[in-house]
Amino acid sequence: MGARNHNKNPFDFLANPERFMAFSRWAAPMFGAIAGVLAVAGLVLTFTVPEDYQQGDTVRMMFIHVPAAVLAMFVYLCLGIASFLALVFRHALADAAAQACAPLGAAFTVLALATGSLWGKPMWGTWWVWDARLTSVLVLLLFYLGYLALRGAIDDEQKAARAAAILALVGVINLPIVKFSVDWWNSLHQGSSTLLAKPENRLPVVYAWPMLLMQLAYLSAFGSLWLVRIRALVWRRKARSLALKAAEA
Amino acid sequence: MHFDFDAGKYAVYVWPAFALTAAVFGWMIADSLLAARRWRAEAERRQAEAKEPRK
Repeated sequence: MGARNHNKNPFDFLANPERFMAFSRWAAPMFGAIAGVLAVAGLVLTFTVPEDYQQGDTVRMMFIHVPAAVLAMFVYLCLGIASFLALVFRHALADAAAQACAPLGAAFTVLALATGSLWGKPMWGTWWVWDARLTSVLVLLLFYLGYLALRGAIDDEQKAARAAAILALVGVINLPIVKFSVDWWNSLHQGSSTLLAKPENRLPVVYAWPMLLMQLAYLSAFGSLWLVRIRALVWRRKARSLALKAAEA
Repeated sequence: MHFDFDAGKYAVYVWPAFALTAAVFGWMIADSLLAARRWRAEAERRQAEAKEPRK
């Protein structure tokens, strides 16, 4: 036993609340500042790129819609991993990480659905269609809302955390369905056109840059806000623990 | 560099999408910072109370 053995687990560094608070104190504002700079650069490119020959000016919505959709899935993956760690290792900080990212993930999912609907109306002629991609993203939102509702409905924090973590893990099944729905089923939604897509489907370079900048801006913003929310939960638990001690004394 | 803010006939779709994005980010930032400030103040108040000698 000792400091050397204590660092064997890669999660140990941040699993210690004091170390996490020291790390997040500078990391949260740093990610926030990076997000701000990237967002300004991304928005400048968003409004200076030429309009698309088919989609006209609606193409500018792509730079806020696609990052929101990617974050909706990425945040759920974070929720799933944090829930798994909380469930298996019963670590309070992993549970705080899961609890902290759920509202952010729900917000990104709402954004993805709403901006997608606003883009869909002029391009597809409809606000909504029960298509595999759209429906699976709606199911993703329901998992986020279910997670938040379950945590709020159970008074015992430990029971609430356990039940919500199980629900979050069940919801992970939906992630590959969201990602590959456009490949598995005939869909009104277009397939992937990012840098990882087939060359013939890839975005033109002129659109790839604002997309990359906005994607990184959303990711940095999430990183910053996630850390801020975990810090809030650590303080909340400390306040409640002190209140309990004061009541017992 | 030429900024193109004229979305023409699509303005009714483009601008609400950007406005909604700004509003949701505004909510995420405000809610996260206010929660952190609130619980930090509460924890510090409880800690100060715990350190005070009992009357």
